[in-house]
Amino acid sequence: MTASLISVMFAAVISQNIVLSQYQGICPFLGVSKKMSSAAGMGFAVIFVLAISSVFCWLVYNYILLPLELDYLYTMAFILVIASLVQLLEMVLKRFSPTLYSALGVYLPLITTNCAILGTANSAVVYNSYNFLYTFGVSIATGVGFLLAICLLAGIRLKTDNASEIPKCFKGFPITLVTAAIMAMAFAGFSGILG
Amino acid sequence: MELFVQILLAGAIMLAIAVVFGVILVVCSHFLTQKKDERLEKIEGLLARSNCGGCGRAGCAQFAEALLKGEAKLSDCHVTTAANKEKIAEILGGGDVGEETVAVVHCNGGNACYNKYDYQGYGDCASCELLAGGIKACPVGCIGKKTCVGTCPFGALSVEDGGYAVVDKEKCTSCGACISECPKGIISRIPKNAKVFIACSNHGKGKDVMELCKRGCIGCGICAKNCPHGAIEMKDGLPQIDYSKCTGCLVCAEKCPRKCIKEH
Repeated sequence: MTASLISVMFAAVISQNIVLSQYQGICPFLGVSKKMSSAAGMGFAVIFVLAISSVFCWLVYNYILLPLELDYLYTMAFILVIASLVQLLEMVLKRFSPTLYSALGVYLPLITTNCAILGTANSAVVYNSYNFLYTFGVSIATGVGFLLAICLLAGIRLKTDNASEIPKCFKGFPITLVTAAIMAMAFAGFSGILG
Repeated sequence: MELFVQILLAGAIMLAIAVVFGVILVVCSHFLTQKKDERLEKIEGLLARSNCGGCGRAGCAQFAEALLKGEAKLSDCHVTTAANKEKIAEILGGGDVGEETVAVVHCNGGNACYNKYDYQGYGDCASCELLAGGIKACPVGCIGKKTCVGTCPFGALSVEDGGYAVVDKEKCTSCGACISECPKGIISRIPKNAKVFIACSNHGKGKDVMELCKRGCIGCGICAKNCPHGAIEMKDGLPQIDYSKCTGCLVCAEKCPRKCIKEH
């Protein structure tokens, strides 16, 4: 069981990377990757929210929706859970841990409506019907995968944004998208490793 | 009919979940939100709200918090007007207001300064500076490739025919963004009501400067000798203006043989 958990988590970080192979969370991936510091902030905020929200989604799905035979409403229920949970988290953090609150900063409310959060909850809780431990592990690993991808892209963008050889028509987002595509191909090369 | 009941039931249950979350949120916000210091809002309202980051904080809101905690000095902000600063100082109960300042570029070389090489690469001063310390023969000469122009959040800087950057006194808020970005470090603040400034940063000897630039300061000291108020002192080959003594008579600007003391 431990071995299969590790392989599932490894897949969530590398070969099934949330951004580069499932194409979720593209907006922060492109929008917040101009600076390494903001990319890292966004990445950690995603890990934090993912870990907590998918756990709550699992509870709601398994103890409220399934017994009531309302599991077809999972998307709506998850949006509800995630949105109110992030609001609640923000309040709690502001009150009890101002340090963490200021570290996560604006990124915390920003990712309330992020598709990566909802997508992970959907795939882990509903499509794969993982148990509690698996859901928690996979959602943390997904967040780590996001952090890895956005930090790598931020590092590359630091170079491409200042490079002289790039034709004018490719400057800015076009070259960033090309970079992301090449990164996605590189990450796909890991598929098959560890299960 | 059965279907209808089912839809209603599903809706009711979702509504119930939403209401539960809503109630939890309301209760929590009631218990968890700290009472905001009402001084904070007042201070935020008085600050310039340009969020330029010149004070070293993320924005004006953070600066206001730091002010309240006593971690920041009011004089760190150069954008807020003096009148508003006094009001803030009143709220805070004292504090150094600081003088209203503007940024100036201490160079008027530009095209008058000789080029070391022909630069045909892309980019701004920062990229040019990487190649043998920039295109200009003078090590502290304005490169004129507009790093500061692009940095200024207020559009106060421009590079005109002279080939060197000039600050628009009216638009400049003294936020300091250009000061930290200029690769030559030749932009600094002077009091807003100052009449003259030294438009050269080269401390070199007269003959050396003459070889580099047609308008560089040769350190002759004529300005210092002719100033009727004794406001100019020669220091390390460059004149220094004591703005507390300067009356703005412009004698120095007239007498300077290199025309590098400029009217502001």
